[in-house]
Amino acid sequence: MSLIHARGPARIDANLTPMIDLSFLLIVFFILVARMSGDQLPPISLPHPSHGAMTPASNAPRMALNVVDEGGGPIITLGTRRFGGTENSIEDLAKAIEQRLRVDPATSVDIRADRSLPYAAVEPALRAIAKANGALGGKVRVRVCALADSGGEGG
Amino acid sequence: MDRRRSATGMRSALSITPMIDVVFLLLVFFICTVHFERREEVFTTDLPQRGSTADPLALRDPPITIEVGATSSSGCTIALRAEGAPAQVQGFDELASVLGALRRRAGDYGLYESTHQVLVVPSRDSSWQDSVDAFNAAVRAGFANIGFSEIRK
Repeated sequence: MSLIHARGPARIDANLTPMIDLSFLLIVFFILVARMSGDQLPPISLPHPSHGAMTPASNAPRMALNVVDEGGGPIITLGTRRFGGTENSIEDLAKAIEQRLRVDPATSVDIRADRSLPYAAVEPALRAIAKANGALGGKVRVRVCALADSGGEGG
Repeated sequence: MDRRRSATGMRSALSITPMIDVVFLLLVFFICTVHFERREEVFTTDLPQRGSTADPLALRDPPITIEVGATSSSGCTIALRAEGAPAQVQGFDELASVLGALRRRAGDYGLYESTHQVLVVPSRDSSWQDSVDAFNAAVRAGFANIGFSEIRK
């Protein structure tokens, strides 16, 4: 009797454990990346002017200052850091902007603010950028973000 | 004859069920989390002027100022401070056309160069939407040196 018949038919099974491990690693990676990008650019109802004359945002490095109201009054976020509208907070924000711009001076500072907020909520962000600009010798590039398509609410 | 069965009678079975499970989980995950954002574009703006950086001896023409009033259910008021312009304008389209008429072009007699400073002066309670609309009107009119002002205290 041959050996093959003595042991029964041989089976080749692929070990799927590494593939499943890798898949879970991918899922965790995407979850983390999604959270990080959300911190940088949270969903905001940006202004959408009718007949908008904006220019497309380039792929140059950008720093987004987000102005949102989460129920407890307007706040300004820069990455994961959050700032209020007090003078001390504006000083801290100006220092944070200045530090980042010293590392990469080519970075544009983008203001992303909810369209329904009053100007008084957005103006502290402008003042903080102006302070950082003064410390850096007036080289800061500031941009205001808006939605490209005209929705008809403006005007 | 079964293709997976070799000539010796051995059978290699690859179970792809877990892989399909994982792929479908990924698919459902991304379908649930995706949202289509509208395209975001930018205006380049000037910062609020600070006296320390400006040359105190420089002679400067006063800027064109666009005062945006508080936003109400009927919209907002728009006041224009510039030579040869009506004090009040109705809506941002009219603002853009009035500013466009003020700008000097080749061969005509507009009062202001396109590099003349334009200052958007929103009130505390005017919405960011209206402030950006006023800014957009100045860009549409062809001005290039536009900024927001600080809130006057």
